Amino acid sequence: MKRKIFVIEDDQPILDLMELLIKKLGYEPVLVAHAPESLEMIQHDPPALILLDVMMAPMNGWELLAWLRKDKNTREIPVILFTAAPSVKEKMAQMDDPHLGMLQKPVSFTELKAEIERFLS
Amino acid sequence: MDRYGPLSRINISHTDLVRLIVIFSLTISCIVITAVSLSANIGTIYAQLFYFPILYATYFYPKRGLYLAGVCAIAYEILAYVYLYPDTGILIYTTGQAVLFICIAAVVAHFTEKVNTSEARYRSIFETSLLGIVLFDQNSFAIRMTNNYLSQMLGYTPEEFVGMTLPQLFFSKEEQRKFFEYLGSSKDVNNFETQFVVRNQDPLWVNLSWRRVSDNQVSCSVIDINKRKCAEQAADENYTRYQQVTEGSPTCIIITRDQKIVYTNPAFHHFSGYDAGELAGKDLLPLIYNDDKADFRNISAHPENQNGKTDKVEYRFLSKSGEIRLAAAFFSPISQKGETSLLINLVDITEKEQLKERIEQDNERRRGIISTVAHELRTPLQPIMGYLNLLTEDPQTYGVTEETKVILDRCAKSVDRERQIINQMLELSVLDAGKIPLSYSVFSPAGMIQSIIDAGGYTTKADLTVDIPPNLTFEADASKISTVIESMLSNAVNYSKPPRKIRISYQSSASDKMHRIAIQDNGIGITNTQLDEIFEPFQLPDSGNISRKYDRIGLSLSIAKKYVQMHGGYISVDSIVNLGSTFTIHLPKTRSMVVKANEA
Repeated sequence: MKRKIFVIEDDQPILDLMELLIKKLGYEPVLVAHAPESLEMIQHDPPALILLDVMMAPMNGWELLAWLRKDKNTREIPVILFTAAPSVKEKMAQMDDPHLGMLQKPVSFTELKAEIERFLS
Repeated sequence: MDRYGPLSRINISHTDLVRLIVIFSLTISCIVITAVSLSANIGTIYAQLFYFPILYATYFYPKRGLYLAGVCAIAYEILAYVYLYPDTGILIYTTGQAVLFICIAAVVAHFTEKVNTSEARYRSIFETSLLGIVLFDQNSFAIRMTNNYLSQMLGYTPEEFVGMTLPQLFFSKEEQRKFFEYLGSSKDVNNFETQFVVRNQDPLWVNLSWRRVSDNQVSCSVIDINKRKCAEQAADENYTRYQQVTEGSPTCIIITRDQKIVYTNPAFHHFSGYDAGELAGKDLLPLIYNDDKADFRNISAHPENQNGKTDKVEYRFLSKSGEIRLAAAFFSPISQKGETSLLINLVDITEKEQLKERIEQDNERRRGIISTVAHELRTPLQPIMGYLNLLTEDPQTYGVTEETKVILDRCAKSVDRERQIINQMLELSVLDAGKIPLSYSVFSPAGMIQSIIDAGGYTTKADLTVDIPPNLTFEADASKISTVIESMLSNAVNYSKPPRKIRISYQSSASDKMHRIAIQDNGIGITNTQLDEIFEPFQLPDSGNISRKYDRIGLSLSIAKKYVQMHGGYISVDSIVNLGSTFTIHLPKTRSMVVKANEA
């Protein structure tokens, strides 16, 4: 059975793209356009990795991340912040979370592959 | 009075000599006339003739006149005895006449003496007076008499005074006119202050008082008040100057004593909206914004603690209209008549502060816009980049031919460049805000340059010579310096044509305070006018060919320049058009120099 990767992202074109890219990398993509919905899904069936958009409404990536890190079942799920917003890197550096990665949009297939494999190889 | 040398011991003047001759000749004449009239037996003897020399002599010389009267009496008596003896009746009569000579002479001498004594007294008062005294004619204003003190005061001799008129002594026509006005009022005037002119034409302040001493004579006393007047004038000038300085000062000036306002200048009235009347005697504290009150009270209540030092603190004030105004305040204690007052200078910085705030807000908003724009620009690039990657990664699945793949690769490159420009734009915006700290470490520039060359595949693009001492170390922000060197290197490659020759060398000596790394190319070169331009982000499109050519790297050069400046260094460029350019990075060798440079 293929390992699941959650893609939590409110931009539909990017979700569509990610579906193809993640499949190509050999994982099973689970696409979620609405962050609050994803919480229950993650707790119910924890994925191998989460690609998380940061700037979303009503719940943004940081808030979702905080929820995940509170629960011991989801605490160690690798999360790659996948964002177009600047200054995410600085904020991330302060958190000192070994299970946290970052990709700056737009990301190339090679970069995506490298970052995912950093956690899942 | 002129004195003759040989006669000076017996004190005989010209006038005395004339008088002596007159007295002598009158006496001889009297004796001769009496003798002749007796010898001719005329019968009438004019004893009264003798009164002429006697009275004349006793008037001028009382004591000696008495002697003369004695001499005349004896001469008269001898003549009478010679010619009239033994007529006893006549002789008694003549003896009586002779005695009368002496008596009258004695009486006259007595009164003359008295008059002389009192005149001498007055004269001595006149001469030794510490007032200048001048006697002048009321109609012609001619000076009749002056005393010594006036001579000393004004520098003219008494003889010179006699040839002058009083109006000549006035310094100005205006003062003269006033004098005539007062004199014409026919009252005696006391304490008329005016300026006289002394012999060397300087003005002299004097106080005049005059009274009429006879029908046409006026006696005028002159007091020298020059010192007092000059001191007064100087004080007056000082006060005027002080007043002009404080009243005209754009700085607010407040003086408080025991925390009560004793003085405020117009600048403060303008600043606070209150006028002098509303402020005098009041406490300054109600005018201070609530949050700043405690601090202000501390300083103003103990001016002596300031030790004469002025301190600058910013306080918010409440103006009459309720507006909050910000001022930089300087406190200095001043001593007035043994009491300590506090001098407070305020500089209104409300507008400056508002402007600073507005600029800061504007910058913040601008950075916010750039950040949002970056986000919006990056998001749509993701599908483009992703799908292009997918198509070129897996050409068979998507039916991509070799030809199409070349085109798709070019598209991917463009997207990548777009991504880079957005990243650089954001980096510059954050650099402008000055929010990026440097993270110092010690590293080897030789190693760093080698890894840049390896990663960028530069050896295949140009004939590279690297001349950096292998054991050299830098203390700097390694990632930023790496970005700087990389943009210099990619710049050198991009703006030269094959065969490219690029030389990277270390140009500093042990005594040099800066590390200098030169990157020399054989490219198109840059003209002098373009030198500054290439470091400026977002040049106008019409600013010349070069900026078009360079705008692909325009942002990376701007970022490189800022990074080096953050380290306290700079980038210099030497270039010859069509021959090549040398970009030199100058970096301080020690971190303390950076701190100093930033403080400066």
